[in-house]
Amino acid sequence: MNKGPNLSSLLKGQRATITGIHAPDGIRHRLQAMGLRTGREAEVVRRSRLGPMQVRIGSVNLIMRRRDAARVFISLSPAR
Amino acid sequence: MKRLAIVGMPNTGKSTFFNRLTGSSSRVGNWPGVTVDLLSARVVLGGNVIEVVDLPGIYDLHGFSDDEQIVRSFLENNPVEVYGVILNATQLDHQLPMALQLSQLGVKTVVLINMADEADQLGVRIDTQALSAGLKCPVALFSARHGSGFNEARETLSTALEQARPVSLALLRKELHADDQLVEYAERLIQQSVSAPTRLVRETTERIDRILLHPVVGLPLFFLAMLLVFQAVYTLGAPLQDSVAWLLEGFRDMALAPLAKVLPAGLYGFLIDGLYDGIGTVASFVPVIILFFFFMALVEDSGYLARAAYLTDALMARLGLDGRGFVMLLMGFGCNVPALMGTRVMRSRSMRLLSMLVIPFSLCSARLQVFVFITTALFAPSQAPLVLFGLYLVSFAAAFLTALLFGQHLKSDEPFVLELPPYRLPVLRQVLLRGWHEVSHFLKRASTFIVTGVVMVWLLTHYPAGGTIGGEGTFANMLGYWLSPILDPIGISADMAVILMFGFVAKEIVIGAIVAMTGLNGDALNGYLATQMDSLQAISFMLFVLLYTPCLSTLATQRSESRSWGFVSVSVAWSLGLAWSVSFGVYQTARWLGY
Repeated sequence: MNKGPNLSSLLKGQRATITGIHAPDGIRHRLQAMGLRTGREAEVVRRSRLGPMQVRIGSVNLIMRRRDAARVFISLSPAR
Repeated sequence: MKRLAIVGMPNTGKSTFFNRLTGSSSRVGNWPGVTVDLLSARVVLGGNVIEVVDLPGIYDLHGFSDDEQIVRSFLENNPVEVYGVILNATQLDHQLPMALQLSQLGVKTVVLINMADEADQLGVRIDTQALSAGLKCPVALFSARHGSGFNEARETLSTALEQARPVSLALLRKELHADDQLVEYAERLIQQSVSAPTRLVRETTERIDRILLHPVVGLPLFFLAMLLVFQAVYTLGAPLQDSVAWLLEGFRDMALAPLAKVLPAGLYGFLIDGLYDGIGTVASFVPVIILFFFFMALVEDSGYLARAAYLTDALMARLGLDGRGFVMLLMGFGCNVPALMGTRVMRSRSMRLLSMLVIPFSLCSARLQVFVFITTALFAPSQAPLVLFGLYLVSFAAAFLTALLFGQHLKSDEPFVLELPPYRLPVLRQVLLRGWHEVSHFLKRASTFIVTGVVMVWLLTHYPAGGTIGGEGTFANMLGYWLSPILDPIGISADMAVILMFGFVAKEIVIGAIVAMTGLNGDALNGYLATQMDSLQAISFMLFVLLYTPCLSTLATQRSESRSWGFVSVSVAWSLGLAWSVSFGVYQTARWLGY
């Protein structure tokens, strides 16, 4: 099983570096194409109470369900 | 004729560019290997007529989403001389790999970098020469919204088209299956040719989102916005629909009827009451489709539709729909037809089909007319609003039940990840063109079906012989009696069954049909209705009318949007079954309880 923090656990305003995506090929491909690539920094802009979250990667803003965000593994960036 | 295909990611202004390049001459059409309609147009570029095709926005040439497969199979089956790749200047880091994917296929590619104005404001500097050298293809930087740099981009395309030779499709197919390492190359190239702030924060968008996506006020604001759009579409639409009807009627009475008088009665009836009324039914949808897409384009182009998805996703995810489906469901309460067409914003086919299965349960304004008429005739003024409210609740319940049941089978395994574009002011021209395209699409795809249906119902209710429309001796009347074993248990009489057949064509003509069948009006008509059914039968009748097939035009649209008779059959069977079961349950339970 995969251990370690994933994107869905980040709080509003937190940033982290993407370390990998654990998902079937098709889904992984899709997430990567939308900008969720290993090595890039992701920031959680907002989270809704029950629904999706907004994530910023560079110039792109995405809304994604937590279920999908949980597939994106991260390492926490040092606080700035 | 040489062919130019426009590709790019969503939110790059692809359609804006396409529309600026082609004007209003574009049309939808079928293509080999592709299961959806694509927009294309013929334009003169550099003295030659060329064909421009607008492909769906995709994130990846090698992806597995429905749209990505469409684009790939288009590329594999249709020879294209030049590919115009639209990139968003503010997101080059994110988008360049797609341009590389294409140029590495060995096809002639022109990189069209749009939104130069926004990039400028955000402090993004792009060295087009360095990019062009790195990509080994021409690069143009422009703004499709404002037109700056557009002529140069046109020139670049024109030159590329002149030089281009067709590419072997076989070769292309092979190449499409093998390429990699583009991302790293793209990143190196970006470092050499683009300088941008490390984090692009759009102040205005952030500020607006802080209010519109607010955890507490966001959702109420969404419903308010929807209410406004709804009101705008249907308060403006109703008088327009009336005037179209008035014009058509005037034309019939003043010009057509006197001219056709020379014809034998049977042919006269067929032409004037059958065919012409069928055309009238089609025409009555035109104003509301134009208005609907005018306002939906505003909602979509401004960037708000993606926000609506964010706000309503918590509920929609449980139903297997996404928030955009919810917007369409709400709009369906005005008219189902444009709402069904609007589901095209959803790019996953299974999610679209599910939304199209759900939308017909929205209690549209045509059904509301029937219910208002019946409730005022048969219920006390204090009860009537409660009955209407109850019908709205049933409408929502049926929609949610359908989503829950069919959501299991139409489950989409696509991740729900949506780009949140910055807020932009919609371009008027763009918004108007959208309405025009949708109307021509509707006329082309649905009109034959609707006219045929209207004519068939006319035949049923007038032949073989009969004194009154749908009366004794007509097919419709016989059908009504044959159906009585099914309709008796839900309290619907044979005469009312004939009315249901009219209602199948359009709910707008139900009241007119009752008037025509009985020859009664006003209080006398209300009195007649009271002899036909008691209040319980009326409730059963209205539940049935609410849930069984909305109208012929809805079916025609479901068919043209899904391209599948199988889907339409499932939808019809399900709504008929649900309508009968609900009416049966309510009617028999209430009878059993002694009402």
